Formats: sequence, C-alpha cells, structure tokens
Amino acid sequence: MKQFNEEESKYAASAKAFRANVTRDLGNEELRSNFRGAMDYLMAKRKDAFSSEDELEVLREQCKLIKQRCLAKLPHLLEQLEDKLETNGIKVHWAETITEANEIIAQLIAQKKGKTVVKGKSMVSEETALNDYLEERNVECLESDMGEYIVQLAKQHPSHIIMPAIHQNKQQVAKLFADNIDGFEYSTDVDTLIQQGRTILRDKFCQADVGISGVNFAVAETGTLCLVENEGNGRMCTTIPDLHIAITGIEKVVEHLSDVPPLLSLLTRSATGQAISTYFNMINSPRKEGEKDGPKEVHLVLLDNGRSQAFADEELRQTLQCIRCGACMNHCPVYTRIGGHAYGTVYPGPIGKIISPHMLGLDATSNLPTASTLCGACGEVCPVKIPIPKILLRLREESVKPKSDKPQVMQGQGAGRSNVEALIWKVWALVHKSPTLYALSMWGVTRFRFLMPKKLGGWTSVRTAPKPAAKTLHERLKSKQEKRAKQAKQSTNTASR
Amino acid sequence: MTNKSADINAISSKARGNILAKLKAEVSGADYDKLPEEIPYIYPEFSHEENLAQFISELEKNHAQVIQTTKEGIAEVISAELAALNITTLLCGEKCYGGNDVHRDVINGLDSNIELQPYDFSIDNNKELLFNECPAALSSSRCSIAATGTIVLWPDENEPRSLSLVPPVHFVIVDANKLHADFARLMAAEQWHDKLPTNVVLISGPSKTADIQQTLAYGAHGPKALIVLLLNS
Repeated sequence: MKQFNEEESKYAASAKAFRANVTRDLGNEELRSNFRGAMDYLMAKRKDAFSSEDELEVLREQCKLIKQRCLAKLPHLLEQLEDKLETNGIKVHWAETITEANEIIAQLIAQKKGKTVVKGKSMVSEETALNDYLEERNVECLESDMGEYIVQLAKQHPSHIIMPAIHQNKQQVAKLFADNIDGFEYSTDVDTLIQQGRTILRDKFCQADVGISGVNFAVAETGTLCLVENEGNGRMCTTIPDLHIAITGIEKVVEHLSDVPPLLSLLTRSATGQAISTYFNMINSPRKEGEKDGPKEVHLVLLDNGRSQAFADEELRQTLQCIRCGACMNHCPVYTRIGGHAYGTVYPGPIGKIISPHMLGLDATSNLPTASTLCGACGEVCPVKIPIPKILLRLREESVKPKSDKPQVMQGQGAGRSNVEALIWKVWALVHKSPTLYALSMWGVTRFRFLMPKKLGGWTSVRTAPKPAAKTLHERLKSKQEKRAKQAKQSTNTASR
Repeated sequence: MTNKSADINAISSKARGNILAKLKAEVSGADYDKLPEEIPYIYPEFSHEENLAQFISELEKNHAQVIQTTKEGIAEVISAELAALNITTLLCGEKCYGGNDVHRDVINGLDSNIELQPYDFSIDNNKELLFNECPAALSSSRCSIAATGTIVLWPDENEPRSLSLVPPVHFVIVDANKLHADFARLMAAEQWHDKLPTNVVLISGPSKTADIQQTLAYGAHGPKALIVLLLNS
C-alpha cells in the first residue's frame, strides 16, 4: 500500500471529500454562473478555430498516432532526450514521487542560495505542491501567470488547467486586489487589474534568482524544451533569472521536432481557439559563451508520480496521450456545473478523473470515475482521441474489482467495492442465467410489489420510488396472444357456420 | 520537513533506474517497424500574395500593428511611431542576427532626439536598466509564418532574448521574402532538427491574457505593442 506523505495526503483528503465538495459548489450561484460563462466562451472559441471538419479529423488522427508512437518508444525517447539535453548543457533529474521532485528542486535552489522564485504556469508543480514545499524552506515562490497569481493571492488552487482563475469574476478579483495589494484602489476594469499585476510581477522578474516553468513538449531528437504561452511570463521565468528549472511529466516527450507543429496547432486551437499562442518558446541550452542573457544553468526534472502505472496497461496508457489542452473540461456538463474545485484534485474534469487515480490511488479517488454521465463529449473533442468515457468505465471496474484479483493494475484496486452492491449483482447474474429462477423472481416481484419501499436513498431524494407493474411484460404478452388466438378461433367458427 | 536531505544525484539515479526499468519491461519486444502510418493533413498551396495577406491579417487580428515599408523607410517609420508614443529611447542589438550590419542605415536615419541604447551589456548587473529605462526595442527576425501570422526570432549575442521581451514596445523588422506557408514547412525547409540556437521564439502578437473573466487585455508581462515593419520589395 502506498504511503502518502504530507502533500499527497492533502490532495487525497480533498478528493475523498468529493461528494461534500459537490454539494457545496452546486449551491454557489455566483460560481456556477462564472463557470457557465467561461465554458460557453471557450466552446465557441474552439468551434470557430476549426472551420474545416476534415482538417480537424485528419489532425486528430495524426496527433493520436504521434502520441501513441512516442509512448510506444517512451523509455528510449527519455534516454535520448536526456542524452541530447545533457549534450546541450541542460542537466536532467528524475523523480518517482512528488517528494523526490520537490527535494531535487529545493536542493538545486539551495545550491545557488536562491531566495526568490518566479514561476511560469506549471500544472506538474501544482501536482507536487511545490510552492508549499519551498515556502516551508524559506524560499519565496511567486506565481507569475496572471490566473495563477490571482489564485495564489486568494490562497486557492487552479480550478482549470488552462485558465486557473476561471472560477472568479472581475468583481471578485478587484476585491481580492483591493484587500491584498497596498495602494490598489478597487476597480473592475480588467486592463487596470492586469496592469497592476504586471507592475508587481515585473519587479519580481527583475529580482528573482530562480525561474521555474513547466514544459509542453520535450523533443528527444534535438533536446528542446517547448513552452506555449500568451502572457510572456514563461519567457520571463526562463530568460531573466540565473537559474531555470523546468519540471514535467515523463509523458511529455516527443520523438521528432517535426512532431511539434501538428500537436501545437491542435493544442492552442483546442484550448482557447487560437491559431497559435502569442509565444512559442523553444529552449535548447543555457546561456552560451558571449551571450548576454538567459539562465546560466538549466535543469529539467522528469516526474513519474503514477504515470508508469498507467503506462503498464494498454488501455489506460492512452491517458498519457494527453497534451493538457483542457477541451474535455470545457465541454463537460459535469465540470461546468460543479466547477474545478469540487473534484479536490489538481487536474479537474474528465482528464482529471482518469489521471488522478494513478497519482493518488483509487482509495482516494474511487468517486471520480462515477462522476460522469458518459455523454461522450470529452472523447469527441479530445485532440488526441483519448477514449475518456471508455477509460472511465474501466476505472469503475477497477474500483469495484475484488481487492485480491490479479493482475493488480491500479493502486487501490477495489477501493470502491461495496459488499451489498457486489451481492446484488451476483444474485442478478444468477437469476438472469436461469429461466426458472428468472420466471420465479419476476412472479415474486410483481405479486409482492406492495412491499416496495417508498424511500430508496439518493434515488428518491428528487424522484418518486419506482413501483413494479402488476404483471410482467411476458405475462401481458402471453395473455394478449391467448386472447387473440381465442378471437381468431371464434371468427373461424363464425365463418364456417 | 521530515526527511533528511538526501543527495539529489542519488535520488535521481535511483528514480531513473526504477522508471526506465518499469517502462522498458512494458515495451520489450515491441516492433517499431509496424507502427501505423501517420497521415498529415495536406494544406492547400497559396501564392506568395495570398500568404502575405494571411500573415498580415492574422497579426492584425492579434492586435499587432503592421506597417509596410522599405529598408530606407524604416528609420522614418520608427521615428514617427516613437514620437507618437512620446518615447525617446530605443534599445537595439549591436548588430542584426549573425552580425549583419543593416541596422546602421536605420540607426543613422533616426530622428536626432532619439537616444539609442545598444544592447552591449550583460543582463547580470543591468536588469534595472533593462526593465526600467528601456521603453522600446528594435529587433530583426529570421523569417515568418503565414498561416498563423507568426514571426520567428533567433536570438544570439547581437540580439539577446530579452530584447524582444522586456521593453514595452517591440519593433520588429520582417522581410516579406522570408515568409513560409506554415510551421511544419518552415522547419523542414530550414532543417531545424540539425541545429538550433540557445533559444528560438515564435511571436504572434503583443503579450496578452484573458485570465480575468475571459476579457482580453494586452501587455500582460511582455510588450504591450508589437509593431511589425514589413519590408516588401
């Protein structure tokens, strides 16, 4: 059994509280209207970005195959990436757990006596709860993506992987700034708010010793770290401070540089409907002799944290095709209603429901795969064709499988298993296998239908209890047939007379 | 704060071994010659004029200002734009990429009240100067991409990375003859996989964000204005 450390158990606990979180957030009208507005906006933007259905379908198939090829070669590509990066002067570190990743980063910072860190947007660093880890070690860690900055100021976590502060409206941001920033006068003008953020953060870029970023694609062929962004904070974090540390999951490696253009095109269009992001930043090495800027040291931390578990199963491996565009959450009817925080995990929405169980174990996340209507929207919009609904069904199965069943695919297998439910299905299967038992049970259900309870847990909280019919369909059809046969007989008798 | 600081090389090499062993166990015996063919989408071919129109239209959609001019006209355009913005200092590279000296003409032709600040210093002790005393910058570009309205910068010791990032106004010289249809064809044509510099950056507009209530705001962290000087001869 996996032993959780402090950071992990925090996320595990909040994922376990899923049902309570849902009740809390469904009742929050402001939050629901913020999500509804944002999701409608993002869906429309994506639709506009794909004017040709044909292009979209060809690109999706191509990108799916690219990612599947890169995963099929994953260990070799990781070695090639490491080799190329080291040749280019970028040091590579490996971490199996989030604590290892945090410890590596903390020590890299300590070696340089770093005190101030500016961070570009990185969901993997959210996954490792890096900010808390560094702050406990007296390193100031400031988020510089505007959305992340807002979320950090509000002492919250991102509610969306692309637009972290999507759960807040401008009035809430204005209040947050007025309450927390000296000299800021309440204003709901978005330009004023962004300029305020800019002023504060530019000072920080200027002063910071360390920049931390994520990675969108790591190219094995050339040893290139690619970053997609609109604001320029990613470029700031990877250009201005002396030390740049990038952190990413092991699944982000691609084989060829030529794999990047189609993936990039689908990523930005699926995410925000942009043909391309404002900046596409390709980092190949630290500052070279004679160059006037750029970090003197660049490090990459490669994190596993459950990904190799998903990798080991052919169906679940498809989870790792994800390029983190967020389209699945934008189109999810459940996400739109409950919002990103209710999931209690770093990655919310459909992709969160299928990746989090590998990071936190099914013990903490067995509720998540069931929080879906299986409407299929996520699978339909996924740019790399991850069959999310199918994987959700598979995870439901893994979560109710007997704990001892081999092979053990998932950490926490059987965590969602209920003995009563298992027994019900066993009886159901038995009854449906035997015609005699089936007929007998149907007879019983219809004749004793008055015994049906009026209250059936969650089902009757908003519905009336179902009541079995007085006769089974079989019986009714049978009696109808008999009646017809009788009538037919009578009419032949009349005719023959 | 529980665990004693283990040596990070030890952590990393143990993790490396474990991760690679797990992954390799799953792919042993895989036949990489049998992977399915990846069929790309074939984009239609456009004429140079169509590509140029697309390039300009995409850039303008993204709030960049595109000014068509000639090599001789650059100085005048920049002088006028700076005057309109009330800016009198312009940061520029010592030379263009690869040491090409075409900047000389521009520099000599600028209005006399514009003070030129050459980027001839290391950033290390000059961050304050770069952040606070350089309101505008001029850079060249390597080439551009029509489909997405994208300008490719290839920073080097003459034109550092932060030149196009830190000053709030960025002038960039783009040669219309170096326009490629799309990113994939550009990479193939220029054989990028053979040799890449320290950093390549693709720029498709001024810095922006929609992080507050999906409302677009320009000048998030990078330049608030991107002024493209398009040389079309």
